Amino acid sequence: MGLQERIESRQFVVCAELGPPRSCNPDTVREKARHFKGYVDAVNITDNATAIVRLSSIAAAKILLDEGVEPIMQMTCRDRNRLAIQSDLLGAAALGIRNVLCLTGDYQTFGDHPEAKGVFDLDSIQLLAAVAGMNKGHLLSGFEMRCPTQFLIGAAANPFAVPLAMRIIRLHKKIAAGARFIQTQPVFDMPAFTHWMDRVTGEGLDERAAILPGVMPVRSEKTLLWMNEHVPGMRIADEYIARMRGATDPEEEGVAIAAELIDALKAVRGVQGVHLMPSSWESSVPAVVERAGLHVAH
Amino acid sequence: MGPGERRFSRVLLFFEDLVKVPLFGCRHCGECLLSSTGFVCSQNCPKRLRNGPCGGTRDDGSCEVYPDRKCVWFKIHRRSALLHRLSLLYRINGIHDWTLEGTSAWLNVFRKRAKAPALFVRNDARRVQEIARHGIPADEEERANEIVTNGLAGKD
Repeated sequence: MGLQERIESRQFVVCAELGPPRSCNPDTVREKARHFKGYVDAVNITDNATAIVRLSSIAAAKILLDEGVEPIMQMTCRDRNRLAIQSDLLGAAALGIRNVLCLTGDYQTFGDHPEAKGVFDLDSIQLLAAVAGMNKGHLLSGFEMRCPTQFLIGAAANPFAVPLAMRIIRLHKKIAAGARFIQTQPVFDMPAFTHWMDRVTGEGLDERAAILPGVMPVRSEKTLLWMNEHVPGMRIADEYIARMRGATDPEEEGVAIAAELIDALKAVRGVQGVHLMPSSWESSVPAVVERAGLHVAH
Repeated sequence: MGPGERRFSRVLLFFEDLVKVPLFGCRHCGECLLSSTGFVCSQNCPKRLRNGPCGGTRDDGSCEVYPDRKCVWFKIHRRSALLHRLSLLYRINGIHDWTLEGTSAWLNVFRKRAKAPALFVRNDARRVQEIARHGIPADEEERANEIVTNGLAGKD
């Protein structure tokens, strides 16, 4: 069963995330894909995440397709104007890519080419509307296409950034613009997440889009500290930092924490799945999925 | 825009700037959103976002790119709450027409190249409640689709 069917029939969804390599070696993607196959429903392919140049998300998504793993192609507004975005989306559709996650994109000064010109011709909400329009058969120019695209459209949300009310407004807009699933920043603060989720369910947004909170397995205390320090809009409860510090086997503890978070998230009303973000620790995915009892039967 | 109108637009922009630059930090995008963004110019955002903040606002409300500045959309939300204009933040703003960059927004509204400003907002709290209960109203959702056919096609 594909991602779209699972979301539409309101079954629990497990997504994961794969960062393509900073080289042209397709085997790196294939190798990483092996950790996901049979364990998750679909895999996000990041699009030059944190503004660092990597193998393109379209090419990596195609490699995944060939490996029998369903890709979710991420598309950001940082590197492309409206012409390039639409042409890349048409290309992706032609290659058989069915899922697209629309993002604004990290600012270019955070990456490996800080001198670059950021494009931001569209923002993520306008991108969502543009893809929804392509699904209806027209381009931004109004041109009617002979064959419309059939993308399942997703968007991102940050439950932890301030002000909360503005985050909910933006979520309303994303869903109105066409988002059918929402992936969030990694959760390391359950009370803050449930607080956000109360608003989401209170306004019925979970009924109009599948909410998939992020879960990040980490292998060291250092990773958590680094994220707390350097990733704006992240919130990490001290409890997890202390647990990682005290662990005799940090990798084992990282998997345990991820599995516990998944358990806790499953119990939150309105959550329709999880999004695993192992950030360069893809090999942890099978362990996390099994430990959390999520094994997806395919 | 013909050459005559272009000249007129430049003259008008001079007067527009006298008001909008010192008061609102206007960046003369030519498709003014000020009236729906609590009179804070959204175009001072490094990503020039027109539909709300990115996910990077820091806990103290500062910008992820320039930590010494407040996030523009953080300010917009605060000011909109103060002015009881929060319901306007639910509007889906269309894709920017770059040919209007550096032209007079007033003239663009008059010539129907840009959307008219929102003047008075009545019952802001009730409108927000209504959206919270039923989602963004259908006409606004249609506008989201309109974004798509609202490009340069059909404009002179």
